[in-house]
Amino acid sequence: MRLSQLIILVVLGLTPLSMVCGETSIQDIVDSMLDAKMRQVNITAAPLADDYNILRRTTLDLIGRIPTAAEVDRYVTSEDSNKREQMVDQLLRSPAYEKHLAYDLNLLLSPAGNSELQSYLEQAVTQRRGWDQMFRAMLLGDYEDELERQAMKFVKLRVKDLDNLTNATSSLFFGVNISCAKCHDHPLVIEWTQAHFYGMKSFFNRLFENGDFIGERDYGALKYQTTDGEQLDAQMMFLSGKAIEEPQWTSPNEEKQKAEKQQLEQLAKDKKPVPIPQYSRRAQLLDIALRGDDLNYFSKSIVNRLWYRTFGYGLVMPLDQMHPSNPASHPKLLDFLAKDMSDHGYDLTRLIRGLVLTQAYARSSRYDGENRPPQMWFAVANVKPLTPQQYAAALLFGARNPSQFANDDATKNQTEIDSVHAQARTLAVKFEVPSDEFQVSVDEALLFSNDAALEKDLLANRADRLIGELMNLSTDADVVALASKSIMNRPVTQQEQRVMMKYLKHRKDRREAAVIQLVWALLTSSEVRFNY
Amino acid sequence: MAEIGPKFFKEVKQITRADILLRISYQKSMQSVYVGSSDAKIYSVDPLADKPEFHEFQGHTSYVMGLVDTEKHLVSGSYDRSLIWWDKESREIVRRVEDAHDRWIRNIFLSPDGQTVLSVGDDMVCKLWDAKSGEFVRELVSHQKITPNHFPNMLYATAVSPDGNLIATVDRIAKIKIWDFKTGEEVTELEAPKCYTWDSEKRIHSIGGIRSVCFSPDSKSVAVGGIGPIGNIDHLESPGRVEMFNVASGEKTHEFEGDKNVIGLVEQIVFHPSGKWLMAVGGKHTGWVQFLDLEKKEVIRQVDAPMHVHQVAVTDDFGTVYGAGHGKLIVWSLVN
Amino acid sequence: MTLQNSFSRRRFLGQSAFAGTGAAASVMSLDILKSEAFSKQLKQKGKRVLLLWLAGGVSQLETFDPKPGRLTGGPFQAIQTAVPGVEISELMPKMAMRLKHTAIIRSLNTKIGDHGGGSRLMHLGRRDEPNLSYPDMGSVMARELGRLDSKVPDYVTFYTATEGRGNAVGRPGFLGSRYAPMFLTTDNKPQNLGRLESISDLDHRERADLRRALSARFAQGRVSPALGSHNVAYGRVRGLMSSEALFDITREPKSIQDKYGPSLFAQQTLVARRLIEAGTPFVKVSRAWWDSHGQNFETHLEMVTELDHVMSTLLDDLEERGLLEDTLVITLSEFGRTPTINGSLGRDHFARAWSATLSGCGIRGGTVFGSTDEDGQHVKDGEVGAAELFATIYAAVGIDPHHEYYVGSRPVPLVDIGTDAISEVLV
Repeated sequence: MRLSQLIILVVLGLTPLSMVCGETSIQDIVDSMLDAKMRQVNITAAPLADDYNILRRTTLDLIGRIPTAAEVDRYVTSEDSNKREQMVDQLLRSPAYEKHLAYDLNLLLSPAGNSELQSYLEQAVTQRRGWDQMFRAMLLGDYEDELERQAMKFVKLRVKDLDNLTNATSSLFFGVNISCAKCHDHPLVIEWTQAHFYGMKSFFNRLFENGDFIGERDYGALKYQTTDGEQLDAQMMFLSGKAIEEPQWTSPNEEKQKAEKQQLEQLAKDKKPVPIPQYSRRAQLLDIALRGDDLNYFSKSIVNRLWYRTFGYGLVMPLDQMHPSNPASHPKLLDFLAKDMSDHGYDLTRLIRGLVLTQAYARSSRYDGENRPPQMWFAVANVKPLTPQQYAAALLFGARNPSQFANDDATKNQTEIDSVHAQARTLAVKFEVPSDEFQVSVDEALLFSNDAALEKDLLANRADRLIGELMNLSTDADVVALASKSIMNRPVTQQEQRVMMKYLKHRKDRREAAVIQLVWALLTSSEVRFNY
Repeated sequence: MAEIGPKFFKEVKQITRADILLRISYQKSMQSVYVGSSDAKIYSVDPLADKPEFHEFQGHTSYVMGLVDTEKHLVSGSYDRSLIWWDKESREIVRRVEDAHDRWIRNIFLSPDGQTVLSVGDDMVCKLWDAKSGEFVRELVSHQKITPNHFPNMLYATAVSPDGNLIATVDRIAKIKIWDFKTGEEVTELEAPKCYTWDSEKRIHSIGGIRSVCFSPDSKSVAVGGIGPIGNIDHLESPGRVEMFNVASGEKTHEFEGDKNVIGLVEQIVFHPSGKWLMAVGGKHTGWVQFLDLEKKEVIRQVDAPMHVHQVAVTDDFGTVYGAGHGKLIVWSLVN
Repeated sequence: MTLQNSFSRRRFLGQSAFAGTGAAASVMSLDILKSEAFSKQLKQKGKRVLLLWLAGGVSQLETFDPKPGRLTGGPFQAIQTAVPGVEISELMPKMAMRLKHTAIIRSLNTKIGDHGGGSRLMHLGRRDEPNLSYPDMGSVMARELGRLDSKVPDYVTFYTATEGRGNAVGRPGFLGSRYAPMFLTTDNKPQNLGRLESISDLDHRERADLRRALSARFAQGRVSPALGSHNVAYGRVRGLMSSEALFDITREPKSIQDKYGPSLFAQQTLVARRLIEAGTPFVKVSRAWWDSHGQNFETHLEMVTELDHVMSTLLDDLEERGLLEDTLVITLSEFGRTPTINGSLGRDHFARAWSATLSGCGIRGGTVFGSTDEDGQHVKDGEVGAAELFATIYAAVGIDPHHEYYVGSRPVPLVDIGTDAISEVLV
């Protein structure tokens, strides 16, 4: 392709700038490194998934819902060679992308069931704040800034248990679960000792709650007892082992303590924040974590988590065991992506975009061969349980009359979509957040099998529901085809059609019930429950 | 003559102890008090002496829950279900009625004429005994043994009207029964339901009950004390309340719901002989004394006590109040 | 480095992820070192556990470790039991006669005196770790004593009072949702067990078959433990629905219902017995709320009377049905109560010296382990913590307390390392 053509395409927004500048894209680098490793270990990758699969997967991963029938048609029938990239960019531009990313980040950052950080995260993602900025805001946010004040909930939710705060920060932002090292040197990882745990905790030991705010003292040491019974003063130490020298401090005398107490009480009464001390241990932590030689902990951790979110398996597993004795499956790749992250302002969307545009991401999750390759090679796509939000959306959209989302008026169409998508939040509370070793509980199966409210909501015979539309169709074949397309986002196979039509045929005397049961079987099938 | 009244109420002396003093009786001739303790002993002591000495009466094996002075004897009742008649000088047991009740004895009372000792226990029976001989006279059976929520009921206190005609008994589920003293027949039943909290939702058990009962000097009214409705039944977190009824009509004439200065149980009520005011004592972790005006139907005064007050004994001139409570024996004065 | 250690280290380093094949394998792949033969043996014997969870902190002084005659003893006396030399509170006359089934542990010192922390400890048997989700006792029992294709629930818990409900940790943790409890609160039976009227039994069944057929097609060539669990869960629905009758006590003869009595605690215990009888390996009946900071003696008079009756009726019932030798009955709280009595005649939280009891399966009845000093302020001898108690509980039903699970590559022992069961209370 000539440069002039390229430029035109850039102007039209059809070609990424990076390609023109000769910069190899993230997706190309990722693919070449993954492919190289696969060749090395002699593994054949699964073939690429078909368009229906790719569209459903990407839509769920980027905006948290299944595609509408109209969206499926548009994508599948398009002959544009660039359609996948266009589809991705369109999804990334949607407000639903920000909401969905914020939702997932909240699941990560808030204690179970708590959504106090959701609002902050949505705004931060919408404003394209870098992950480092968000980290700063969550640890040492400026209370004068309305947004950063909300971010400080991260600390506030945990300040009553500083061990918890230490572990959470270490796990979630540095990929290191240091909790075992609290009571004794880590049994298997020589690098983590009690000194490391208390070293990390030292960054937090001066924190306290004062009314609505988090305060930090400019004095105070953390003491701990070793396994030998020795009482030691902890020295601030980062995970790398880098110890911090800090300026001399003195504990205040009784008079000063009294004055301080009064001052704090007044601040709390006036609903004013506690001023940050001259020397802040938190600020010290941020400095090490984001600036010096040790910033790779921070950058690698977020890369690994976003990778896990995309592929369903991390470059390092488990996610919180990123230590020297647990190397990544593709160390050079992790290094590259981490550097890319820190070089580009920790832009989360940049990485997400790159990853979903890889060939690796587009592979099928089906592998019919004898020796299924281990997950660490990313040769086959993973089956991922949907988050409660995603599953609720999949059910609600699947159970709707598809013509609702086939308006010629694009704005009206989007309004309909947004309205249904918003309802997913309510239904989502009925489902469990999947952890790494997720197993579906029998309560969920019983809920779908016998719960009246759920049935009423999803399976009503109404004009705005799928069932309503199906009842208007004249042939069983039409019913089966439309139901499959709406719920599974793909055409029905012959074998499936046979099985489903037989079901309907046996129930001619109770057609409405039969149609409802058919839709039920589709909605509750594993295909809908998972992202594949 | 010295003035006496609630506005002069003040502490004279307090004696700290390791045990819980649950019952107290004033011995006029000996200028001493008898106290019944959680350590199962009874003590006679002159609290106002320079170095008060506690002289032991040993015989019970659990909390002493009743003490009355019959002139000839000191009579006590206990959680150990027994009643004991004591020689006051030698402090020896004269008569013991083992198994006086089938379950724990909560209180005893001496009839105004000094002839009868009444005892109440969780067998839900009020028993009358000859004060001199200790012989059983009769029993009053009517209170439910099991509460409507299927738990054991408790019978907390009993009193006899000054004219000697009526007996009152009060229980856990806030029922008040009035009986004819001579015949033992039940005359009427009243209730103060706010004194009983059954929590069916948060903690699935109850708290409260009417803990104290006293007839007015004219014998026409009866006052009961307890604690108001409670939200968190793990604690005595509600103001102590006093209700008063006209016995003949059954009408509730007074209701003192208490406030934040009197949180806890009303353990005992004492009328002033004029009938114009009464004193209610009690507490939760700490205690209080309140004086209630029966004519104006308002609080005269509330005073903090240094401990949860379980029982008081008042001198005939109403000038001195001896209080038994959690970890303390106290002397108050009502004299100007 | 021993073979075990090097193996552990390799697994810990995150290498060689295990590709499970199908539902059964995916569940088993959780711990590759577990002996298949051992577990089969265990399951054939059909051991069960019934935990009477006395939430809020029952007072040991008003139940199993009275101190009559001491200032800390309270007003209730101690009574002789059927076991010579052993006395318990006079509030438990019925249990006194039946103590031959029961072992009392009087020397628990668990150090955590807040409801949340204490409950977690006494449900998990160990301190929590923020980044590893431990299963609670019930989930472990469901896993070790239950059957994969069980038609009765594996793990049922009752907790009707609202106080303290959130503390009663019932979670499968890394064992997976398969072992999550059926958590009954307002109703004495699980939700969604009854078929809706809008669908016939035939259609309900065949609708499920259709679902399965479509899902089977999807599962071809796709592997994941989560995917397998989805179909396992649906596969259990019909069986669990048929267990609905188990939760209905009106199916018991009136004489039995009357024996247990009308209180909620009694009714739930009777349902528990029905579940146990039908093969449910773990049932917890929570009796909340014992936290008598004020009026300790009144509260215990009420509630211990009830406990005495319910527990003795239960033990009699299990014995008559020949179930007691295979059923372990536990009474447990998050801590005990202070010997010192406060001004409201209450007792406060106390984790330093308190009691629990074990009756039935694997237990040497009529024993007392450990003792407290004369005022009940400290443990005098035989001090044990949660780990020892849990080790004893597991051992009683035939589970090796030193068994290890694997979470990824990390070995997770069933109880804290270096802990042994209290052999004195085991047969």
